[in-house]
Amino acid sequence: MGLYSEEIRNITDKSMEQLFEFASQDEDQAEKIGYSNYSYWRSTWKSFLKNKVAVTLLILVLALVLFVLIQPYLPNQKSPTEIYLDPDTGYQARNVKPNDDFWFGTNSIGQDLWSRIWAGTRTSLFIGVVVAVVEAIIGITIGALWGYSRKLEGAITHVYNVFENIPTTIVLILMSLILRPSISTIIIAMCITGWVEMARFIRNQIVILRDREYNLASRTLGTPTSRIIMKNLLPYLISIIMLRMSLAIPFAIGSEVFLTYIGLGLPVSEPSLGNLINEGRVLMMSPDLRYQLLFPSIVLSFITISFYIIGNAFADAADPKNHV
Amino acid sequence: MPMGDREVLLEVKNLNVTFGKGKKKFEAIKDVSFQIYKGETFGLVGESGSGKTTIGRAIMRLNEVTGGEILFKGKRINGKIPKDWDREITQKIQMIFQDPMASLNERAKVDYIISEGLINTKKYSNENERQEKVRDALLQVGLLPEFASRFPHEFSGGQRQRIGIARALVLEPEFIIADEPISALDVSIRAQVLNLLTKLQQQKNLTYLFIAHDLSIVRFFTDRTAVIYKGNIVELAETEKLFSNPLHPYTRALLSAVPEPNPYKERSKKMEIYDPSQHQYDKMPPSFVEIEEGHFVLANEEEVERYREILKMGVSM
Amino acid sequence: MKETKEKILSIQNLVIKFTLRGKVLTAIRDVSLDLYKGESLAIVGESGSGKSVLMKSIMGLLDKNGYIAQGQIFYQGEDLAQFKTEKDWLKIRGKEIAMVTQDPMTSLNPLKTIGKQIEEAVVLHQGLKGNEAYDKVLQLLRDVGIQDPERRYKQYPHEFSGGMRQRIVIAIAIACNPKILICDEPTTALDVTIQAQILNLLKTLQEKYQLTTIYITHDLGVVAKVADRVAVMYAGDVIEFGKTDEIFFNAKHPYTWALISSLPQLGEKGKELYSIKGTPPNLFKEIKGDAFAPRNPYALKIDFVETPPYFKVSDTHFAKTWLLHPNAPKVEPPEVLKKFFEEGRLYAHGG
Repeated sequence: MGLYSEEIRNITDKSMEQLFEFASQDEDQAEKIGYSNYSYWRSTWKSFLKNKVAVTLLILVLALVLFVLIQPYLPNQKSPTEIYLDPDTGYQARNVKPNDDFWFGTNSIGQDLWSRIWAGTRTSLFIGVVVAVVEAIIGITIGALWGYSRKLEGAITHVYNVFENIPTTIVLILMSLILRPSISTIIIAMCITGWVEMARFIRNQIVILRDREYNLASRTLGTPTSRIIMKNLLPYLISIIMLRMSLAIPFAIGSEVFLTYIGLGLPVSEPSLGNLINEGRVLMMSPDLRYQLLFPSIVLSFITISFYIIGNAFADAADPKNHV
Repeated sequence: MPMGDREVLLEVKNLNVTFGKGKKKFEAIKDVSFQIYKGETFGLVGESGSGKTTIGRAIMRLNEVTGGEILFKGKRINGKIPKDWDREITQKIQMIFQDPMASLNERAKVDYIISEGLINTKKYSNENERQEKVRDALLQVGLLPEFASRFPHEFSGGQRQRIGIARALVLEPEFIIADEPISALDVSIRAQVLNLLTKLQQQKNLTYLFIAHDLSIVRFFTDRTAVIYKGNIVELAETEKLFSNPLHPYTRALLSAVPEPNPYKERSKKMEIYDPSQHQYDKMPPSFVEIEEGHFVLANEEEVERYREILKMGVSM
Repeated sequence: MKETKEKILSIQNLVIKFTLRGKVLTAIRDVSLDLYKGESLAIVGESGSGKSVLMKSIMGLLDKNGYIAQGQIFYQGEDLAQFKTEKDWLKIRGKEIAMVTQDPMTSLNPLKTIGKQIEEAVVLHQGLKGNEAYDKVLQLLRDVGIQDPERRYKQYPHEFSGGMRQRIVIAIAIACNPKILICDEPTTALDVTIQAQILNLLKTLQEKYQLTTIYITHDLGVVAKVADRVAVMYAGDVIEFGKTDEIFFNAKHPYTWALISSLPQLGEKGKELYSIKGTPPNLFKEIKGDAFAPRNPYALKIDFVETPPYFKVSDTHFAKTWLLHPNAPKVEPPEVLKKFFEEGRLYAHGG
């Protein structure tokens, strides 16, 4: 087996004496050894940065949002609602193909598509973000109470069942019929039906977490339910909440497009991606006019794909198993 | 000190904890009664499914009691109780959990984790006092005060368990339920934590309910022990007596199965197997009988006779 | 214990590293260990000692971020450390070397009947088919103590208790007729009464099938029951090894002393249990000298400078501690341990 080491012979007599004395012990040092440098959020961020596609898209999305916000204040911008007249004929400058004057062309009643598209994107993003945030707030509150409180569990389950079984479309249609279609109507209509999924999702996660020992410990210490939800449960769910919100935004925008398609969307005076796509759709058959569909579709596709990719990349990065 | 003179801190009377309803009913605790005296370490031993954890949680009011009573200093603590009594027992009865990796909130600083109880009961007058208490609690369990600003993931299993102990201690409780506090720890760390628990008990005159499945630790650590099998206590006695003179066949089987760190003893050991059908309880149902002072066994009349005989003959393990 | 001194497995100077979050962790720091045919070897260590990693490396089951940096693993003339592909390992894994792990549910497929799962192993490794295979499965079920095998064959894993599932996993492991059986904490998750039964079962099977077994455990009681020889691991190194009674009653390394002394069976009620301060070392950093030195109450200055070699205590017993060097001061093990050693020696002579 060759286990003996001949090195012993190499140590000189003098140093041997010293080396074979007892060493002193430092107790505090012994405690300090157990230290790990791992930070959950830092690792999540680093993991996310490794996904080049997602990072690029994130930068582009932020650039888009920034651009869309400052666009009206740039020089040479036209109004999105004004109907422009052709200086030669005096009539409406309809269906003008993209040129130096109208960078994206005009639509069938002579409005500048460039400014309409950015105005539409602003509106749609606004709707998407507001809906995502409101859905999240309502969904998280109800979902957390539903998952955690055994007293309220029954009642909320009934409410959930009612809401879940009403087809979203019907609610949206009803709301649009009862109230005059506007941005707030659409937002309200989408929130009424949208909170349901977030609530169920949160509730499932909380049911998994609530019987973990650290939550039992908090109960034995007398911690009230609200603080258990805020400090013990929600922090674990932040990453999934953010994922769901990032997916809710394109979904809300898509819903708006759908509503417009079935005629219950925003009035034409309020430019939105839904309106623009709808207008463009009608003209899809004639090749000259396809640009009216093309530009809003590109913007919508870009937003949808980006949010999905970013959201999923974030979810992957937030999973501790990927933190190598 | 004779048992009669000692103060009963906690009493469990005919406790029944049943989960679920109707067909899916599961009786985790069938009919359990025992008393715990002030200052002692009471051991509760059983295997998985015996119900030992359920008893601990029922006393902590985490599980609902479906039958019987739990009394602390003579007053009932299960079911609906007045708010100030509720607050008092939250402070006086505390728990240490089994898994140090699961019993701390990963997203909270050690400072918050330890102060949680203090914040709930408002047992401090200003911020400085609270920080002092956290500091003291950390020092008492052998951790450095600077750990308060760190997160649980930065610590080892043994250190995390000590944070859990500090969390329970900071409220200055009288009675602590330790639910398998060392099973999830490494062997060399277990001794550290056990020593800490002993030291704290002596310093603060604590009373422990020590729930475990490892009998060798129970023998070392407890004054009296109850053995629980499928929701019933089958034997209860002073620990030494239980280990040297077990009467109930389940206790005997359990003791014979515990591996001993002595190769010669282990190799020559004969294992006893427990067969519950040997009892024939449908003919003569058992009751919890005090067979000699302080020594209780679950047995029917016929078995009681037999056990008394065995005791008279002085047969030991 | 079989007296054949034939080596069946020989690990030489093995170094295993892992890349974790950009840093390199040395889980096994130069381990040499021999396994003799027919014996029962226990590897004792706590978490972080490397015992599981060592066993996984013998079967090619290291995690993706782990690799063998140095050393050889000789088995039947081949060096397993050189294996690069899954194909190489499939010749060994299951067939020659089989493993039983701590949690039976991770080894069993919840969607297949247990009979089918054992049969698959039999068909794959023993080349039996049809009725022959079926009969073999029933025989295996009987061997591992499962009554009424015909009925049990058709049941699913969730219909069995923990102890029974462990028996099924053992059946699958021996279905392959392996030469070496590795049991990684096979009873840690089980109740103590079931634990004893499973350990007895393993002993019986070892004799019947002439297996060489390796037990990985932290429980010295299990070691006392089943092992012929013991290797004690700390921080990725084997710091002491020898025959079981040598290790229990004549241990020489302070870590082994600490492990045995901290057992509650050696404790006196009311007094403190012997305990070691602190926590195991950080394996990301290079360790100079003896890894146990910072926690060793008997540490010598040389322990912080130079890693000790193996010192011979007997032909079968070696320990890596400078305390065995002729120049080292004479040290006595802790009081509780001395008493324990005495008892042991009495037992040995008294029978």
